[in-house]
Amino acid sequence: MKARANKAVAGIGVSTLFVSTAFPALAFASEGEEGGGIAAILPDPIEFVPMLVAFILLWVILAKFGWPMFNAMLEKRENTIREALKKSEKAQIESERVLQEYKQQLADAKAQAAQIISDARATGEAVKADISAKAQSEAEDMIAKAKVAIEAEKKQAVADLQGSVVDISVDVAAKLIGEDLTEGEHRKIIERYVSEAGSFNAN
Amino acid sequence: MPTNRLVVKEEVATYAAVMFDSANGAGGQDAVMEVRDQMEEILRVMNADMDLSQALSNLDYTPQQRHDLAKAVFADCNPVFTEVMAVMAERGNASLLPRVYEAYGEELSSKLDLCVVDVTTAVALDDNLRTLITRKAEADLGKKIVLRERIDKSILGGIIMSANGKRIDASMVSQLTNARQVLKDTSDGGEC
Repeated sequence: MKARANKAVAGIGVSTLFVSTAFPALAFASEGEEGGGIAAILPDPIEFVPMLVAFILLWVILAKFGWPMFNAMLEKRENTIREALKKSEKAQIESERVLQEYKQQLADAKAQAAQIISDARATGEAVKADISAKAQSEAEDMIAKAKVAIEAEKKQAVADLQGSVVDISVDVAAKLIGEDLTEGEHRKIIERYVSEAGSFNAN
Repeated sequence: MPTNRLVVKEEVATYAAVMFDSANGAGGQDAVMEVRDQMEEILRVMNADMDLSQALSNLDYTPQQRHDLAKAVFADCNPVFTEVMAVMAERGNASLLPRVYEAYGEELSSKLDLCVVDVTTAVALDDNLRTLITRKAEADLGKKIVLRERIDKSILGGIIMSANGKRIDASMVSQLTNARQVLKDTSDGGEC
């Protein structure tokens, strides 16, 4: 708009220059007379009329051709700006709506994320507790089984040791009996066993 | 080969009776006891050597081959036993020898009123012990007793007596075995 105004002023300047160029004598006359009094402030008709005519002419030309064009440009510009403003307003409203929507979605997403994190944390805690309980139970079972196995091994070891002691004792006794008894002692033992032995008729 | 329990029983009784009567007729009680002892020893050998018992019963050989085999193997035994054994092998009845041995013992008991008591000791018996054992066996069995003595150091001491399929084991080794078992069985399971 400012550019268009500058263009109009430039047009007036051009018109003035045109008039000055058309009537150079009038210009020189005005410069040559430098009298004082009221004449200094009153327009010289010789200069005034042509200037008025030029002005009117310029005004008519501008009113006829310049102003409608200028007005059309302004209106067009106004409409463009109005439309732009409307569009901008709509865009702003839309962007605010979208922003609001995004904010809502973001809030929802945040809430959802928080819920997921909370759920995951709760699930994790539950799993942790479950695993811990299971591990505890398994450890207790293993300890119990180990105790049973150790006890069985211990019993077996003691039984084996006892069996070995018995075997060794009996073997030693057998060796002593086999080597140390004389024939007379053997016969005495036989005699005693025959006397004490059961009957052939016993069941 | 079809088998009939009664037929087999009759065959066993026949073999035992023939063997007993032949031995008794040839040499009296001594021959009878000799045949019994040899039969017992051969049974022990046949139990230890399955090849011998299988060869004597192998039907892939001809009867004559089995007969000759038995005569060759038992050539040093009492002729009565050798002949009967050869016939048994020829007829494929060598595996009946354990039952023949039992039937032979019954023949001995019924026809001679004798009971053979096998006595196993770690040292040789003296007369005192023989008398003691004979009296005890006669008192128990009610028959005339013939002792068959055997020395076996592995029993360590004591005595083992067997007669008519019954056995009295008063040996040291069996007592030690019992003691060993009792000591092991009375284990308190390690709560000592």
